[in-house]
Amino acid sequence: MSFLRQLGWELFRMFARRRTYIGFGVFVLVEMLMLFLFTRTGVRQGISRWIEEVAGGLDTYFSGLTLAFLIIAFTIFLLAAPFLSLVAGDIVAKETEDGNLRLLLSRPVSRFRLLAIKYVACQIYALALFAFVGITALLVGIYERGAGGGFVVWSPEMPRVTIFDWNEGLARYFGSLPGFVLAFLPVTSFAFALSCLRIKPAAATIVTLAWLLADFILEKIPFFEDYRHWFMTPRMNNWLYLYYQEIPWPAVTETAAQLVGIGLTAFVIGWVAFEQRDIKT
Amino acid sequence: MLTVDHLHKRFTRSAPPALDGVSFEVRKGEIFGLLGHNGAGKSTAIGIMLGMVSPDAGDVTVGGVSVRRDRPGVLRQLGAIFESPRFYEYLSGWRNLKVLTAFSGGVPRREMEDIVAWVGLEKRIHHKVGTYSHGMRQRLALAQALLPRPKVLILDEPTDGLDPEGIAEFRQRVRDLRRDFGVTILLSSHLLAEVEQVCDRVAILQGGRKVYDGAGRGLGGDRALYRFAAGDTDALVAAAERFGGRIEDGCRLSLPKSADPAEVLAALVAEGARVREFARMEETLEDLYLKVSRSAESLRRTFSEPRGEGGKGGGR
Repeated sequence: MSFLRQLGWELFRMFARRRTYIGFGVFVLVEMLMLFLFTRTGVRQGISRWIEEVAGGLDTYFSGLTLAFLIIAFTIFLLAAPFLSLVAGDIVAKETEDGNLRLLLSRPVSRFRLLAIKYVACQIYALALFAFVGITALLVGIYERGAGGGFVVWSPEMPRVTIFDWNEGLARYFGSLPGFVLAFLPVTSFAFALSCLRIKPAAATIVTLAWLLADFILEKIPFFEDYRHWFMTPRMNNWLYLYYQEIPWPAVTETAAQLVGIGLTAFVIGWVAFEQRDIKT
Repeated sequence: MLTVDHLHKRFTRSAPPALDGVSFEVRKGEIFGLLGHNGAGKSTAIGIMLGMVSPDAGDVTVGGVSVRRDRPGVLRQLGAIFESPRFYEYLSGWRNLKVLTAFSGGVPRREMEDIVAWVGLEKRIHHKVGTYSHGMRQRLALAQALLPRPKVLILDEPTDGLDPEGIAEFRQRVRDLRRDFGVTILLSSHLLAEVEQVCDRVAILQGGRKVYDGAGRGLGGDRALYRFAAGDTDALVAAAERFGGRIEDGCRLSLPKSADPAEVLAALVAEGARVREFARMEETLEDLYLKVSRSAESLRRTFSEPRGEGGKGGGR
């Protein structure tokens, strides 16, 4: 009960920050930009041609849901990693730097519990972000294309194009939103672990993003094909499994276990490092 | 109530020890001053008391509970405020208290309101901390330290950055704390006047070592100081020694409090000393602080210089 109360106040504190609203607002702005690109520029012809080719029936399949998927996929690809690594990289390091942590540590709470609260709060924050982005993208899509119609999905990481009706598509769409939390677990956990070290908050964010970028680039280079299982970014596409015609549950479970394992390992490393630290002015 | 037992701490191998065998005891209900210049080891000692710094050796116990074995058990009995207290600026004072007390298992609203009224923040408690003055932040820090009611309150440089009015107000508040809450207080400061006026006993740290532990007011313990001017110092020394006295700095006579100064003066005159002045001196905390600091420094020099040369020679 007291864990939940502490978690509640930690979440309250995180959502009370002006940065949260600015950050969420930026996501909406980028969604609007995506909407503009996909519907008011030459990109629209490309998308229309592609939908005609793979699904036929442009009016049916260039639906609000298809548009929402395109918007959310690009927005999250562009913004989620920087924003979440900033939030997770700040969560301990910034409080240490600002001196708030000393007041918290003078309370009868173990360091493990304090970190566990912050770590869980970080994941709930990520879930709220993805739910917000998902819902706003859908609203934008419905506003532009109306409700109903089909849903066509494809990504370079998917073996083939998949097509759903509105209800099935809606279920898949909402089902994939928690999947993003799992997908970004290594990012939030790695930034969190760095944040527990004697490090500037910005450094935790920058190192996380540098690692992610290096992982993303190296994984694409053919020379590293044999080492692909060591890279993180392919696993971060696990949310796409929810859009396969037949959901490959063994693969979903396997990558989910790997992502959770990586996240928990990073948490434990951060906790052990934090436990050893002397917190002084 | 609070026992500091042979604390040792060295932050890096190459650096001198931050604490080198520091021990002292704070008795129940007293206001205890921890004095020392910057880097003397005060904050390290307090960090260890609060379990934020782990000692290399030694321990701190509060009410018989060891901070090394049961840190939460110790912190359940402690409240602490630090110099320049930092809160979440974007939350109100009230919300800050809620966030912090949640980590102590929560505090009833009524108790929070009472403490907020006691520190005099009731009119501004629902305003954002970002709008608070330094004095108001200090009062908020005091409120959070008192929630829930601690047995021991640790005040680390609490008046740092306050104006003279704020310092005087805080000093009075420290006295009121003991009166109203019966709390034991450890006050760390480098402001000697502040400590002298409120503390029952003090410990002075220098270079990570305790160089004094004793009375904070009416200092000198069982000895009294007299300022004198006399023509014949030899006669004075001889007379003083008969009463267990000793001469300090050539112009001060330290006598046991049991010695009657009238008798000493009569003996001086009988010895033929031409006494021109003889008056009682009240030793201030500043006198004591400077005296123990200088003697500790001179001891350090005495022992470190030959040892340094010896060490060099021994290495060959």
